[in-house]
Amino acid sequence: MGLLNYITAHSLDEDYAHVSAQRSSGDHPVRPGSAALVVMLLFGLMVTIAGIRTAHNAPVSQTNHAQLVTQIKARSAKVDARRRQIEAVQADIGTLQAQYSQATAEGQSLSTQLSRLGVRVGSVPVHGPGLRIVVDDAPDATSSQQRVQDVDLQVLVNALWQAGAEAIAINGQRLTSRSAIREAGSAITVNFHSVDRPYVVSAIGNPNQLPARFADTRGGATWFDLHAALGLRFDMTPEESLTLPAANRLSLHFATTPGRLR
Amino acid sequence: MIAGLGLLLGVVLGLLLQPQVPLWMEPYLPIAVVAALDAVFGALRAFLDGIFDDKVFVVSFVSNVLIAALIVYLGDKLGVGGQLSTGVIVVLGIRIFSNVAAIRRHLFHA
Repeated sequence: MGLLNYITAHSLDEDYAHVSAQRSSGDHPVRPGSAALVVMLLFGLMVTIAGIRTAHNAPVSQTNHAQLVTQIKARSAKVDARRRQIEAVQADIGTLQAQYSQATAEGQSLSTQLSRLGVRVGSVPVHGPGLRIVVDDAPDATSSQQRVQDVDLQVLVNALWQAGAEAIAINGQRLTSRSAIREAGSAITVNFHSVDRPYVVSAIGNPNQLPARFADTRGGATWFDLHAALGLRFDMTPEESLTLPAANRLSLHFATTPGRLR
Repeated sequence: MIAGLGLLLGVVLGLLLQPQVPLWMEPYLPIAVVAALDAVFGALRAFLDGIFDDKVFVVSFVSNVLIAALIVYLGDKLGVGGQLSTGVIVVLGIRIFSNVAAIRRHLFHA
């Protein structure tokens, strides 16, 4: 309380009292002069400036507020738009994933189909059980009839196809729809590659059914005759596991499909 | 009177010119105004007491303004600017109130 009392008691600058006491028996009270004018001018200026500053700052903060509100609205509209975009994109993703899995399934079935076709056409190597038939000239061949001729091999191969063989190769030359077995000079060519004796014909098929069916065909009978009458070698052995290579000449240059191949 | 004329001139000048206050000075302007208000009311009371003096007025005005601004500046540097401003305003407010009370007694003889 002492401090408050002191402040209240000494609210007037003591200098005024000091100076007036020194002035001694003040003959006339001093009127405010030019210094007072300047100080009051300064005071008025300060008050005005402070007032103007405060008045300036208020609208600025109001403007800021309005700007912020506008920005918030704009941003939240943007966020909404982005959210809708995200939903649309997610729907797209779902559609695309469905399409992708469908396409994958289609591709898988196509590649399965392709490899199965390749087995039939001869464009891929094949593996499976089957028969191995080794044919050769008669041991002491004197006439050309006692040798294996291209016709004999053709008959043999046709009989095997007829008996149900799924893939055939002669001395490692895979037979395809474009294969030819013919005589060139003294040698036999398969796929335009000359093959040497003995001729090993590998046929993939059911090893239990192939021999019997082969024997039933006309070609099979022909070969049993050749074996019995002329002494040509004919050894037929069932095999658990045969591997036939892919054919090397399958490219088509002129043949095309009428429509676009699906 | 001459003091009232000065005040009016200052207000008009401020309104007309609208001078830009440097940014560093802006926080101290309100407290300086309060300090100046104290000096002005003190001078008015001294005038009514018949002990007014130009020189004392000038010195008290300038020192009040400078010291108030300095205290707030120091407070800002020390991190207690708000509390020191409050303290200065309390002290100056009490002085203003008691000076105004004395002026009122002079004017209305109450």
